[in-house]
Amino acid sequence: MSDPSEALASAKAAADRISKTKRLNACLTALKDLRKSLVAQAQAAHPSGVLYGMPVAVKDNICTLEFTTTCGSKILGGYRSPYDSTATAKLKAAGALIAGKTNCDEFGMGSSTEHSAYGRSIHPFDKTRVPGGSSGGSAALVAAGAVPAALGSETGGSVRQPASLCGVVGIKPTYGRVSRYGLVAFGSSLDQIGVLGRSVHDASRVLSVISGRDPRDATCEDRDPLRLPTVPESLQGFVIGIPKEYFPTDLDPAVRRACDRAIRLFRELGAAVREVSLPHTQYAVATYYIVAPAEASSNLARYDGARYGPRFNGSEDVRALYRTTRGEGFGGEVRRRVLIGTYVLSSGYYDAYYRKAQQMRALIAQDFRNAFDRGVDLLFTPTTPTPAFKAGEKLDDPVAMYLSDIFTVTANLAGLPAISLPIGRIKGLPIGGQFIGQAFLEDEMLEAAYALERVVPATEEA
Amino acid sequence: MSVTHDEVRKIARLAELDVDDATLPALAEQMSRILEYVAQINAVPASEGVKPFIPGPDAVRFRPDEVKPSGLAFGPAAFAPAFKDGFFLVPKLGAFEEPEL
Repeated sequence: MSDPSEALASAKAAADRISKTKRLNACLTALKDLRKSLVAQAQAAHPSGVLYGMPVAVKDNICTLEFTTTCGSKILGGYRSPYDSTATAKLKAAGALIAGKTNCDEFGMGSSTEHSAYGRSIHPFDKTRVPGGSSGGSAALVAAGAVPAALGSETGGSVRQPASLCGVVGIKPTYGRVSRYGLVAFGSSLDQIGVLGRSVHDASRVLSVISGRDPRDATCEDRDPLRLPTVPESLQGFVIGIPKEYFPTDLDPAVRRACDRAIRLFRELGAAVREVSLPHTQYAVATYYIVAPAEASSNLARYDGARYGPRFNGSEDVRALYRTTRGEGFGGEVRRRVLIGTYVLSSGYYDAYYRKAQQMRALIAQDFRNAFDRGVDLLFTPTTPTPAFKAGEKLDDPVAMYLSDIFTVTANLAGLPAISLPIGRIKGLPIGGQFIGQAFLEDEMLEAAYALERVVPATEEA
Repeated sequence: MSVTHDEVRKIARLAELDVDDATLPALAEQMSRILEYVAQINAVPASEGVKPFIPGPDAVRFRPDEVKPSGLAFGPAAFAPAFKDGFFLVPKLGAFEEPEL
């Protein structure tokens, strides 16, 4: 696309499609504002950009100049960032159109998008179920065909898990591949911006544009943008590791069948398949739910009613202002995590929890290095233990909710790239398979994903 | 691992978070379950020799110490809850001091 009239048509069509998905509560931007902005962006977009005219929705914890950035939280209600995130600035420079802000669990804390102050998002296939989270609004919009791609963010699987549950592709790049300037911080040693797309190609194109060095983010590696691989004819020469810890005996039999089918396809494509062991996997969720809340309790200290968003008044002094604003402004899950984080960092508990978790994290990362050092190129696992679950099913049981991240948190803890793509259906609901790659070797991971995507019967029952 | 109501209140004070009495029992129960679950990492033998792992560059790169334009599309007055003469306005600090926890 290089014709301004086509970009304008694309903008209007995207606004129409997004308005038709209103029942999903996936887009937080008012439809009237969205349409107006999309048209203005299309008129201003540069026709030579590689994403010219492509509508890309953006998770509401990534700062944009066009729209408010609330992180799905009451504490940032109506907040407008005075700057663009690097990721959205790069998208716009490439000619893409920012197609509104998507609903998410508050500050990215959740696995169902039920922890949004703006109401839960609905699974596009079944209104009684959740789209996953925390980037559930992005996943639902892509799955409903409203946009070809959307930005999400990951701290423990928040792109791949909703991608799996909604039947779309979700990529979490290597830690340091994409600038986090303008991504509202949750767990700084884990957070990464990721991409959800209709296909491996759509998601990869967007990832390629937003990747690369950024002097504004010291944790962003000094590397060129990701180069897209060609679609391979076969997987000859690839060694794919199957970590046995991701296939426990109590794994949903249909999830296992879908993965077994994908593994048979790898062999038919010429890859060597080898069982491997990542022995510390069973401790990953526990490790994650110490490290992430600890970092969150520190990062979220800035929301005090003085600097951002609304101020909940009736306070006689500044300390009461902080407590009232934070008590009323944060939702239940954020409050829980801030308290857990404060607890594990407090005097007397630091060594038993936080220090120990940092050591466990090192052992989990070492497990991956050991597997890759033994000649494995990529690992393949289920993305989630089950398809989309019912709304409300896990709301009162935070540990059960946390366990839906069991196959995704390890890549975040180890800083590795990973991708989820649809590999089948279970009673009509999508389920994803996951490749975990070596740091900064996204190109190999994407090659394998391209090859699997071409042959896997993603919409057939497993 | 059982967290008492008093411990939740103390942690909430440290976190500058109002927790009302009605939600306290459920919060204490949920925190206890979470802490019991995460404490399983202590079953792994002591790993004193293990160096903590943080992904990303080995060393943080410093930017040149130069004065540059802020790059903001609009000034802080536009997003501050209250702003006057270049300052953020907050309530007076008179009652800030509090007894040791």
